[in-house]
Amino acid sequence: MPRFFERSPREKQIIKISAYIIAAVTFSIIHVVLLDLISINGLMPNLLLILCVWISISEGQLIGIIAGFAIGLFFDYVSGDLIGTNALTKMIAAFIAGYFYREGKVRQTMASYRFLLAVFLASIGHNLIYYFLYIKSTEIDYISFFIKYGLAESVYTTVVSLIGMLINMPRRELDR
Amino acid sequence: MSRIGAIISRFKEVIVFTGLVLVSLIFISNGNLSQMGGFRTIVIGGIGWFERAFSWIPNPGALQSENRALRQLNLQLSTEVTRMRKAMIENERLREMIEFKKKSPNSLISSEVVGKTSIEMRNYITIDRGGADGIKKGMPVRTDAGLVGVVLGYSQNYSIIEVIRNRNVKISAVVQRTGYNGIVVWEEGEYFYLNNIPSSFDVQKGDVVLTSNYSNKYPVDIPIGEIVDVRNDPSTLFHKIYIKPFVNFNTISEVFVIQQVPDPERTRLIKQIENYLEDIEKQ
Repeated sequence: MPRFFERSPREKQIIKISAYIIAAVTFSIIHVVLLDLISINGLMPNLLLILCVWISISEGQLIGIIAGFAIGLFFDYVSGDLIGTNALTKMIAAFIAGYFYREGKVRQTMASYRFLLAVFLASIGHNLIYYFLYIKSTEIDYISFFIKYGLAESVYTTVVSLIGMLINMPRRELDR
Repeated sequence: MSRIGAIISRFKEVIVFTGLVLVSLIFISNGNLSQMGGFRTIVIGGIGWFERAFSWIPNPGALQSENRALRQLNLQLSTEVTRMRKAMIENERLREMIEFKKKSPNSLISSEVVGKTSIEMRNYITIDRGGADGIKKGMPVRTDAGLVGVVLGYSQNYSIIEVIRNRNVKISAVVQRTGYNGIVVWEEGEYFYLNNIPSSFDVQKGDVVLTSNYSNKYPVDIPIGEIVDVRNDPSTLFHKIYIKPFVNFNTISEVFVIQQVPDPERTRLIKQIENYLEDIEKQ
């Protein structure tokens, strides 16, 4: 490979951040615009949450927290949700996923059940807070609402995150 | 100092997390959906553009759900239309009856038909008024359209009406236009017959037939029906006249009982004459 195509660590970093931003914008638009097409009984996979978990596992907990906050805040603006709601919940999801970060074994984690477990637990944490804020001013029973929607959405998100795991499977050997 | 730096370095994730949680909570507590700043307005405008751009993509789930909802709505509306049509017809009929009651010179008791009976070509109806409402045997019954029958018997709250569509019933009638008198009878089917009108008498299709003052059983001038056909039978001296009754006995639902009983003296005299004629026939 000619040296001309080799990129400096800084360039790699910029490309990575750009990819995350493009993914965040795309997933936000999909969430808002194409919601009906991918939803099942009103439930849809939380693609932005998968992205937050991905970043947290790839870059570490600190970067994940900041990215989760930024992505959530952007989505609050895009979706018309109460500003701060998604910023808080996505950040919590990234914080939980950060515990699955293992330096030097990023791709192995991403290509294993650990990624699915991280997504599921992060989604549970996310939905616990999100639905609490969502129904706090109503008389809806929180527990039954969470079981019906929060848990179901977490399972759906985890199933969709299988795609992320499968993408990383061929690259798992690169860590070694 | 370096120890503080080490602590911060060690717990930097928790510190940043706590700080951003506080920022988020401040956002949430200050949040107001109605206050959309300039940036947010642009973002929502952009999202709106995207939504319109992707609106052509069909969504089978949403279509199915919408279809189901529309079918349900259609059923509800169809039921509503039927109910309204029925109410409209009932309203019109009741209006006519109220108008008729106002104009009628006789005192009337309005009642509802609660049952219909047919025994060997004799038709009866049951109404929801009885002795408690002032009903007596022999009182004539009519609707705003015309003659229905007479009260045959009654209990405290119900009465049985002998309908004129009955083989045993004979009604003294008069042709309104000419004043010719005859006897209206029913044998079967839709039409009544006006008998005893000589062939030479002027009777036309469309003439209205009323009860005559020869009858003691029915009050005078109650419409019976309209002549629909007049046939001349060469073998007899009389017309064969078909009358279509004004009252539709199949759909009758409300009637008026006329508070008038036949004159007992006249009834008694007729009965005596009938018995006398029967005796002569027997001899």
